[in-house]
Amino acid sequence: MMRLSVSRPEKLYSTPITDIRNTVGNVPMEWYQDYPHIGYNLDGKKIFKPIRNKDELDEFLDKMENPDYWRTVHDKTTASDIRLTDEQVDLVHRLQKGQFGDVNFNEYEPSVDFFTNEVMIHPVTNRPQDKRSFIPSLIEKEKVSKLVHAIKMGWIKPRKPKETTPQYYDLWAKEDPNAILGRHKMHVPAPKMRLPGHEESYNPPPEYLLTEEERLVWEQQDAEDRKLPFLPQKHSCLRAVPAFSRFIHERFERCLDLYLCPRQRKMRVNVNPEDLIPKLPKPKDLQPFPTTMSLVYRGHTSLVRSISASPTGQWLVSGSDDFTVRFWEVNTGRCMKTLEVGGAVKSVAWNPNPAVCLVAVERTVLLLNPSLGDRLVVSSTDQLITAYEPPEEDKEQAVTWALSEGLEHNMGHRLTLTHPKAVKQVVWHGKGDYLSSVMPDNSSNLQVLIHQVSKRRTQNPFRKNKGLVQCVSFHPLRPYFFVATQRYVRVYNLIKQELTKKLMTNCKWISSMAIHPGGDNLICGSYDCRLAWFDLDLSTKPYKMLRHHKKALRGVAYHRNYPLFASGADDGSVIVCHGMVYNDLLQNPLIVPVKVLKGHQITHDLGVLDVTFHPTQPWVFSSGADTTIRLFT
Amino acid sequence: MSQLQTRFFTDNKKYSVDDVPFSIPAASEVQELSNVINKLLEAKNGSHSQIEFDFLVRGQFLRTSLSNHMEAEGISTEDVVEIEYVERFTAPQPEECMMHDDWISSVEADSEWILTGSYDKTARIWSLEGKAVMTVAGHTDVVKDVAWVRRDGLTSLLLTASLDQTILLWEWNSERNKLKARHCCRGHAGSVDTIATDPTRTKFCSGSWDKMLKIWSAVATEEEEEVEEPPSRPRKKQKTEQLGLTRTPLMTLSGHNEAVSSVLWLDSEEICSASWDHTIRLWDAETGSVKTTLTGSKVFNHISYSPLCRRLASGSTDRHVRLWDPRSKDGSLVLLSLTSHSGWVTAVKWAPSHEHQLVSGSLDNLVKLWDTRSCKTPLYDVSAHEDKVLCVDWTDSRLMLSGGADNKLYTYRYTACETDAGA
Repeated sequence: MMRLSVSRPEKLYSTPITDIRNTVGNVPMEWYQDYPHIGYNLDGKKIFKPIRNKDELDEFLDKMENPDYWRTVHDKTTASDIRLTDEQVDLVHRLQKGQFGDVNFNEYEPSVDFFTNEVMIHPVTNRPQDKRSFIPSLIEKEKVSKLVHAIKMGWIKPRKPKETTPQYYDLWAKEDPNAILGRHKMHVPAPKMRLPGHEESYNPPPEYLLTEEERLVWEQQDAEDRKLPFLPQKHSCLRAVPAFSRFIHERFERCLDLYLCPRQRKMRVNVNPEDLIPKLPKPKDLQPFPTTMSLVYRGHTSLVRSISASPTGQWLVSGSDDFTVRFWEVNTGRCMKTLEVGGAVKSVAWNPNPAVCLVAVERTVLLLNPSLGDRLVVSSTDQLITAYEPPEEDKEQAVTWALSEGLEHNMGHRLTLTHPKAVKQVVWHGKGDYLSSVMPDNSSNLQVLIHQVSKRRTQNPFRKNKGLVQCVSFHPLRPYFFVATQRYVRVYNLIKQELTKKLMTNCKWISSMAIHPGGDNLICGSYDCRLAWFDLDLSTKPYKMLRHHKKALRGVAYHRNYPLFASGADDGSVIVCHGMVYNDLLQNPLIVPVKVLKGHQITHDLGVLDVTFHPTQPWVFSSGADTTIRLFT
Repeated sequence: MSQLQTRFFTDNKKYSVDDVPFSIPAASEVQELSNVINKLLEAKNGSHSQIEFDFLVRGQFLRTSLSNHMEAEGISTEDVVEIEYVERFTAPQPEECMMHDDWISSVEADSEWILTGSYDKTARIWSLEGKAVMTVAGHTDVVKDVAWVRRDGLTSLLLTASLDQTILLWEWNSERNKLKARHCCRGHAGSVDTIATDPTRTKFCSGSWDKMLKIWSAVATEEEEEVEEPPSRPRKKQKTEQLGLTRTPLMTLSGHNEAVSSVLWLDSEEICSASWDHTIRLWDAETGSVKTTLTGSKVFNHISYSPLCRRLASGSTDRHVRLWDPRSKDGSLVLLSLTSHSGWVTAVKWAPSHEHQLVSGSLDNLVKLWDTRSCKTPLYDVSAHEDKVLCVDWTDSRLMLSGGADNKLYTYRYTACETDAGA
């Protein structure tokens, strides 16, 4: 059905017949659906809907029978059917073809040449040219001069000459690795197949052929466990070789390998190995410290258990298993004195104050006067010992004090303290009046004794046994007492008589201990090759564990003035470390191993047994199982 | 091989050659150059006999080939090279070996006698031929240092310093071979490690482990000087058994922080001392004040001063012999390090008659003879000792001495060149 939206021509043509133009305007006709009328005519009268009783069948019949059905349109506004005239149909056709509605309109009129393209000899206008077209423009001149000035002043930069060289860029620089091309780049070739060996030959050398037992073993093994996936076989000639029976199997396994093998590129972490090493200052900048062996003190005939330097640094005392104590001149290596003590010497300690030397021998502690150095000091030491007056009532003491006389006195023996058990270590208090001796014994509380020389008194500070005591030490400044058992170091306050601190060393078995002369730091050597460095103010756990030695540590020592500590071990080496503690609490202590000193021979699996520093110079002494004492400077 | 234009010259008129440039192969070494000079001398003087020469290029001894030496020293090979030649210093010949009972701690020789101090608590006097003349026994401990004071005809004064904190002044008559302890110098509170007599021979200075230097009179007198000593000293009791009269120091110089290891007189007003506190100090002997401090980095074992070249040589507890200028005002200036020893240098001594030569003894059992013009290598290594060398000395009569821990005192004869003697 065709609907004509243009209503004007229809009105135009329908007026002569009956003027039933609706005046409702362009409103949807649905609004009048429920009314009997459909609008109003020019006179204001209602236009009633025509009575329509045509059903679909009538419509269809009409369509079939009426020859003008195709040119009949339904006018909604009047609800009437209108038959289009021939002109109207013609117009509709023309519009449908996109032609002009007017039949007489010619769209291809010939053009009229109003203005000729030829140049005429006479101008179109006869106006003379302006004067300003001949004279240069002042405004332009001003503008140009401004530009010239700006160029001169460098305000305007001349344009850069265009670069003639072509510029290239990497087209694939920012390629997505997951893209197809990226995947091509990341291609990992499949692993190559192993080339056949002699055992796969048709005629392998006899050593490749399996014996009967090997064959039996091979057959009993699971396929995964077999070293070879097949049995090498020998054929007399190539003609006798049968078809490869494992062909399909082998191909299948190869495919399985290729299919299942992970093809991923491993991203290697690119770390410069030097970056992993902690930044430490060069040992050269930490001088002075001992670097070379300078002197060897020879004379002992058995292992030298213990050494100690005199407070002035002129003498050195050593105790050995050959039952002697020897006194040495430090700077020449001369043995000045040899004293027989009648027992293996376990420990020697030079009194930090006067010229009394203390020697621990099996079951006894001897106080010796070496009679070296200043005469006055020597005689005052003797006076100190002889000035003792026994108290009125005699108290029972753990040890017996005996004054040496006669020949022994001439030899230098002064006092003998007979202990009930073997003494392992002796140590002086910093003031030089008190001394402590250690008798390791796991089963009793009599392990540590503190003696006072001037009053010849002995006391046992501990009531309970807290484990096998390894070594003890006095705090250099405060009334503290350090007791090292196998795994812990306990710090006791001697005045309050209580446990102040318990240090966990993380070692299996402590062998030796040394306290910094400032009293803030402590080092512990252990038989499990470790050296624990403690900051006593900081924590009860080691601030640093040093594992530089290959074998058990036997001795550790601090230097009195220089920031140095040393450790000697069974591997025959002495390791000197620089241990600097700063007053600034924010700065971490600097602990740097600076030198490994070698020289001692290892005898009976024992290397260095004791180390001690020279009191004033950066020199370290070490005594070894090879019967020598060595000085490193 | 390329040739070098050289011109030879010498101070010794006896061996002078014409001052004309010669063309010498650049690879030639000392032996070839020596042959050249000998040829030239033979051509000039028919009776000339072969002599070994040593050559100096710009004050440095030639030890390698000429081209190598010039490359190392950075000398241009384009110009004419001036080469000085001197008669070669012949190797010191071992002469005598004097056995002691114990380690030899010190030695000092004068023109006729050798005085040695030993660890067996005695000092000994030997003739230059190696004959033991006298044993000086009196100390109760190791003798650390010895010194001659003066000789008036047949009587000599000598000093021994010991670990027992005393210095003994002895008078020795060489004809009657009589020895008498004249004075016992007490005052040190530590072992006296070093003594030195002043150039006027009337005073001496001692250095001790107690960090002090003390100046004493070295004139033997008969009067007691006890008035100076306070009577309350406990030592007074022991005086009955003393040797000689007790003498007290004229002056005490304190300033060192550690033991004094070596002391010497630069001239009659100036004392130089080396110490374990890593310093060498120059003292004014009149006022007792420190004039200059030279700071090193190691403990000093021994120092020696040569008035000929005005240099101080020091041996310290490392491998180097260092030369110092004691007059330099800017503190610690090491002029030269002589490095060849492998142990502590325990003793150094300048040659008495040669401004370039010194001898050093070390814990590596070697005695080395140095020429300062050849600082890389010593002239000669003398490896006679079997143990630590503890002391060295020279005599004016062409003898070098060294003693050590193998209880032996060796003497070596050397020939000084005519030109260098008294240079």
